[in-house]
Amino acid sequence: MTDQTTEPTVKAQSPLSEAWDMFRRNHAAMAGLVVLCCIVLGAIFGPYLYPGKPFEMAWAPFSPPGADGFLLGTDYLGRDLLAQIIHGARVTLIIGLSAAIVTVVIGVTIGAMAGFYGGIVEEALMRFTEFFQVLPTLLFSMVIVALFGASLPMITLAIGLVSWTAVARITRAEFLRIRELEYVMASRASGASGRKLMFRVILPNALPPIIVQSALMVGSAILFEAGLSFLGLTDPNVISWGQIIGSNRQYILESSFTVTIPGLAIFITVLAISLVGDGLNDALNPRLRQR
Amino acid sequence: MTELLEIENLSVRFPVRKKGAGWGGKTYLTAVDSVNFTVRKGETLAIVGESGSGKTTAALAIARLVTGETTGQVRLEGKDILPLQQEQLKAMRRKVQVIFQDPYSSLNPRQRAEDIVREPLDSLTGKSASEKAAIVDELFAAVGLRPEQKRLFPHQFSGGQRQRIGIARALSTRPEVIICDEPVSALDVAVQAQILNLLRRLQADFGLTYLFISHDLGVVQHMCDSVAVMYMGKIVEHADRIALFSNPQHPYTEALLSAVPSVDAKRREETRRILIPGDPPDPLNLPKGCRFASRCPIAEPRCSESEPPLKQAGNGGMVACHLREAG
Repeated sequence: MTDQTTEPTVKAQSPLSEAWDMFRRNHAAMAGLVVLCCIVLGAIFGPYLYPGKPFEMAWAPFSPPGADGFLLGTDYLGRDLLAQIIHGARVTLIIGLSAAIVTVVIGVTIGAMAGFYGGIVEEALMRFTEFFQVLPTLLFSMVIVALFGASLPMITLAIGLVSWTAVARITRAEFLRIRELEYVMASRASGASGRKLMFRVILPNALPPIIVQSALMVGSAILFEAGLSFLGLTDPNVISWGQIIGSNRQYILESSFTVTIPGLAIFITVLAISLVGDGLNDALNPRLRQR
Repeated sequence: MTELLEIENLSVRFPVRKKGAGWGGKTYLTAVDSVNFTVRKGETLAIVGESGSGKTTAALAIARLVTGETTGQVRLEGKDILPLQQEQLKAMRRKVQVIFQDPYSSLNPRQRAEDIVREPLDSLTGKSASEKAAIVDELFAAVGLRPEQKRLFPHQFSGGQRQRIGIARALSTRPEVIICDEPVSALDVAVQAQILNLLRRLQADFGLTYLFISHDLGVVQHMCDSVAVMYMGKIVEHADRIALFSNPQHPYTEALLSAVPSVDAKRREETRRILIPGDPPDPLNLPKGCRFASRCPIAEPRCSESEPPLKQAGNGGMVACHLREAG
């Protein structure tokens, strides 16, 4: 037979496990992942392991880190800074994560519809997106928080509403690119419905850049929350890292550690998330993978 | 032999926004312009032409896959398929399948080979899972892939193997007509021969009718029963393979054939290459006469005045040229 193939057997490896192989070889991304896992575990189990109460006055104010048995010192009200960091991690991570989810849900829905349907639908949705893009983000979220209160869901929503535009644009761009590829036409020739094309054929192939963008979105949402807290626009009864910085900001010159320590916590977390996001970008990018 | 596929006055045009016309200023690009041809059951018709000649658009219109405005009639077994919707469209898709040009982009990278081959069965038929699995197994064997390769993903195959998956997918609903859109032009030459032989064997085994789009005349000569030559959206010549290759009528066909390279030095001496000067006309602003007139080596004044219709030619086929009349 002239048309028989004779190739060595290849192991059936899914794109996912291949991406993980690629990710594992990226040392910076793995370091970021390890740090991130520690932070997440600390946020979940820390409050049970460390007895300190974040809102109780424990010692004299402004006692420096390490002194008097307080590892990270105390703040302007004499509260244990380590307890605050541990308890604040939860809120900070929850806000980061849920704001990123809000961002992805809004962004992917609008971007996918714009990219798939094209024409007048795309025109309308992209003008709508641009409207949100030109709003000054901090001011807009301040308005939302000021109008509807500084509860956790509202802050999450405010952050999500000002940052979904990037995801929408990326999703639309991916849809525009992928819908012209031959395998989408092949699916249409195979009788796939519009919904199936959109969600089962195009969306899975558009996911890699969206995943990367949303990982980075977690980081920027944490920073955004810190910004809002610093301005005193969040609930003072809910402790987050940004809120610690905000409440100690008047004493930044006398005892800078009260601001530096939560600042470092934010910095390390966002850096770890960025490293993971960057590693995901390389691992999920098929062009890089083929090298 | 009966006419399985009859194409009558098929035109496809795409709206294009006019430059400088502002809002609503629209013009049309006619990619396929009143094309007529028929394909007999069990035969292979090749459509050849240069890039932008409309050959792929015409073929995809027949498979109901173009987004442009399509007019005319495409009759499959006597029934016009252009107005079909929903269930009837699905029934038609079962009968008309496509093999795509680029095996690297025509397979969904996130699906396993078996899922790709099964997709038309999932969407177009109500067969049970075990029936579908049996068909997939059978097709893998028919196109020369091993059963253990079913679980692999497209990027784990070579170009030729990928095209075999594409062929198995096109065969899965047991279609009448397969539109082969340059199925081998993205493959290297050794693999091309394998795939072409496979396509010929499958044609005999499954009783298939091919509409074969190509720009490679060597491939066309190997594969086809008759040939239609397209230029700027029009068919300029349509004849049996032997008649067309031995006695081309249209000056464009002659030029195309003279451009086929030959390793035979004697033949190279004999056949003088006919050069076509210039570029094809602007598709948005087509000339009023023959579309080839501006580049034709034998054009006369009347060629730029009126468009030549497709008429009987000296070699038994049809030709659209004022200067080549039957007789």
